[in-house]
Amino acid sequence: MKRLACLLLLLAAPVLHAQTYFVTVAGLGGESDYTQRFNANAQALDKLFRQSGPSARVTTLIGADATRAKLSQTLDQIAAAARPDNDFVLILIGHGTFDGVEYKFNLLGPDISAGDLAALCNKIPSRRQLIVDTSSASGGAATALAHPGRGLILATKSGTEKNATVFARYLVAALQDPSADLDKNQAISAEEAFQYAQRHTADFYTSQQRLATEHPISNDDKLLASLTLVRFGAAQQQYADPAKRALLAQKEDLERKIDALNYQRDAMSDSDFKTQVTALLLELTKVQKELDQ
Amino acid sequence: MIGMLAAALILAAAAPPTPNSCAALRLHGQVSQAQACYQTLAQSDDLYLQAEGDWGLGQYDAANTAFRAAVARNDGNPLYRVRWGRLLQERFNDTDAAALFQEALARDPADADAYLGLALVSADGFDGKALEYTHHALTLNPHLAEAQTLLATLELEDSDPVAAARAADAALASDPDALDAMAIHASIDVLATPNTAVPSPWLARIAAVNPHYGRAQEIIADQLVLHRRYEEALAYYRKATELDPQLWSAHSALGIDQMRLGQDAAPELELAYNNGYRDIATVNTLRLLDSNKNFDYIHDQTPNGAITLKLDKKESALLAPYFERITARALAAYSAKYGMTLPGPVQIDAYPNHDDFAVRSIGLPGLGALGVTFGEVVAMDSPSARPPGDFNWADTLWHELDHVYVLTATQHLVPRWFAEGLAVHEETEANPEWGDRITPDVLVAISAKKLLPVASLDQGFMHPTYPNQVIVSYYQAGRICDFIEKKLGAAKLVEMVHDFAQPTTTSAVINQALSLTPLAFDTEFNTWLAQDLGPVPGNFNQWRIQLKALAAAAEAKADAGEIIRLGEAVRALYPDYIYDANAYGFLAAAYAARNDTAHVISTLTDYQDRGGREPALLLQLAALEPAPAAAATLERINYIYPMVADNHRRLGDLDLQLNRNQEAVLEFNSVLALHPLDKAGAEYDLARAYYANHQLDQAKDHVIESLVAAHDFRPAQDLLAEIMKK
Repeated sequence: MKRLACLLLLLAAPVLHAQTYFVTVAGLGGESDYTQRFNANAQALDKLFRQSGPSARVTTLIGADATRAKLSQTLDQIAAAARPDNDFVLILIGHGTFDGVEYKFNLLGPDISAGDLAALCNKIPSRRQLIVDTSSASGGAATALAHPGRGLILATKSGTEKNATVFARYLVAALQDPSADLDKNQAISAEEAFQYAQRHTADFYTSQQRLATEHPISNDDKLLASLTLVRFGAAQQQYADPAKRALLAQKEDLERKIDALNYQRDAMSDSDFKTQVTALLLELTKVQKELDQ
Repeated sequence: MIGMLAAALILAAAAPPTPNSCAALRLHGQVSQAQACYQTLAQSDDLYLQAEGDWGLGQYDAANTAFRAAVARNDGNPLYRVRWGRLLQERFNDTDAAALFQEALARDPADADAYLGLALVSADGFDGKALEYTHHALTLNPHLAEAQTLLATLELEDSDPVAAARAADAALASDPDALDAMAIHASIDVLATPNTAVPSPWLARIAAVNPHYGRAQEIIADQLVLHRRYEEALAYYRKATELDPQLWSAHSALGIDQMRLGQDAAPELELAYNNGYRDIATVNTLRLLDSNKNFDYIHDQTPNGAITLKLDKKESALLAPYFERITARALAAYSAKYGMTLPGPVQIDAYPNHDDFAVRSIGLPGLGALGVTFGEVVAMDSPSARPPGDFNWADTLWHELDHVYVLTATQHLVPRWFAEGLAVHEETEANPEWGDRITPDVLVAISAKKLLPVASLDQGFMHPTYPNQVIVSYYQAGRICDFIEKKLGAAKLVEMVHDFAQPTTTSAVINQALSLTPLAFDTEFNTWLAQDLGPVPGNFNQWRIQLKALAAAAEAKADAGEIIRLGEAVRALYPDYIYDANAYGFLAAAYAARNDTAHVISTLTDYQDRGGREPALLLQLAALEPAPAAAATLERINYIYPMVADNHRRLGDLDLQLNRNQEAVLEFNSVLALHPLDKAGAEYDLARAYYANHQLDQAKDHVIESLVAAHDFRPAQDLLAEIMKK
């Protein structure tokens, strides 16, 4: 059922949420290597979000702009402009600290605490929000940032994982790599990006024979699956075309049947399953061709 | 002899018991009398005698407490510390034992027994100081039979039976009842006559003194293990436990040997453990046995013999095809070379955890080796056990499989240096990129004239006297085999294998096969090696200085021209240096910065040809090469670190481009075996490989799986429609 629910959300999301506000912050690097790395990742995201379509409202804070004042001002502006049906995505790239009580994201000048960030985001009326904190110790922000309708992706499972992280690198890669599109719907959701970055982060430590010092976590896979970060291909146009709604409904019906059949798979003979699923898949292919015309 | 024994026993019965008199009773198999003797000591008011009594009764904690008290009461007496140290050494605590022996020497620098204790601790760890300490003990007390016996043991471990027999004779001259020295003589006989049914006459002499002296059989078995005759060792360990069922060390060693040979080891190990024999090897091996449930056993038949692969369940689907391929190739090559087939299946155990492999091999973690051969069983690191680029697993497997043949052909009589040298030589014979290139350690050893004479090269493996001497010895042994092949042809090496199938010595084989004295051989070899290496050893210091300058320039982000100038100079001084921070990596980056693709390719091709195995550099090369060369480079990476799905995907794509469809099926199957996140993509890739290979049923199965995972996947939809039309 969970997969069916996700599917429904996925199909519905593009129609319901016309605009998405993206805010990306490259925090204080401290050393030139980190600074370059943080800025490069933030710039890559900026480019990806801008390319993903006219519905994206993109703000990226790098270098002298990456201050607490500028970030607060940006979030206040979005709070004033956004409607409840607009999605909001905040991505933090940099170093974080956790003193056992409070998490802070490191910025040029004064840092910003998780509590202050939460307060700023709470003012934004978007019903669906996503905060991605790729910094060290970001797990320490989980409690403060938690809010109904807000998805969280954090690079570390707790505030005690204090080493610099590699998670951001793979988050950016996820949005650039078509293989991250696990359901091949020509869009990469927050959940797909998380899974990709989580796997590649783990692989990084395994291949280097190093003890993993970061364990990424997320809080709501259904919400994350419904939040699209980047799109490519023709899917977006199809969903917006009223002439194709009947075909879309037919497609959705076939996909439901395929999923239902797959859930019964263990109770069926292999040949029965293959025969039935092949018929459905061929029919779906035909519908897809009509949609693509 | 009988008179002496009788006299000793009468004396033991008449005089008040002492630690020596109790030990004499035990040595002569008078078990109940010895027990009574130790009981008396244990009840003594004298703390030291109490400690000896408790120790003799197997009450080790009480003995430890009594020794501590005895030492506290009489701090100046080195004997108490030496004996306490011996207790700890026997009970698996070498660190504290060594400290006690050192403390004894602080009180009496001429205490031969303390040096003997240090020698025993060093011998436990196979470090090169064992011989030095033993000689020191014998200088201080030339009649110390136990030290003479230890010397005999060490000499035999170094494959010098003549010196071992001399030392054992000296021990027996000092103590005619030195049963362990007799056991060394018996070991020499057993080692010289493989699989003989005729028992050594020394065993009868031992039995005449003590018919239940299982320790003698255990000593023989230990030597057989050290000479890689694991099957024969089993029989001696069994005999040891039959003669003395409470010899728990032999039960443990029997279990560990059974595990090496792939047999059920748990009963013997559990017996030892449950009776208090809990040394690190026993405990670790039992733990390792518990992990057997995590492995798959995969059986295959090749034209040249059967194979069993023992691979971790998590990686068996990925690794099995590659291991089967290399093993089949090796079996074909070695069967032809040595003109033989193996008597049974070869088993290959690959451990993703290096410490598990180490425990599997020696019962202890910390083994530096990549693979070990036990008869027809090879244990090795899985490719995932080490960081990418650390080793070439196919090369390691090829090396170990040479051992399987050579050990079988020579009935395990081959000396270690020749077995290792030949295996190293065969690596490069199989593939010029394989085999380790000369390392800085080896260059330093050559410059310092530390290469050993061929006749004593085994010492470099068994009892190294300086750090990395084992690595130097591998290199030297391999180059000796290269030299023999260059000088006299490959057939000469095979002839030497046959020569070593008889009980003989290195000197005799060098004389016989090469018509040279060992000394003359060393001279010829060293001259050849110097010519072969050219100026590289002389360049070493300059190379080291210039490599530092190159690394510093790269760190300082010097311009590409400067890096290229420095890098080419470094490469010219020592072209075979392909290890950490090599010139090739710096040069490739600098040429790439200049968009000089031709030089990036030529630099990295040179690196690859010399055996460079850093996957990142090889991937950089593959990305620039035309499809056939890129596919070959990616295949090389499979033999280094096949754990990255994306590399298999790239190779699969290239294979399809090159119409190597069967290879593409293998590669895309590997992607699936790595459980990729993008299951739909991986299933689709495999489907199109099967489709290209005209395996329509398999293609259909996998494209269905792809679409079940991602219904919208248009290329998969198209492929399914195309398949259904056929």
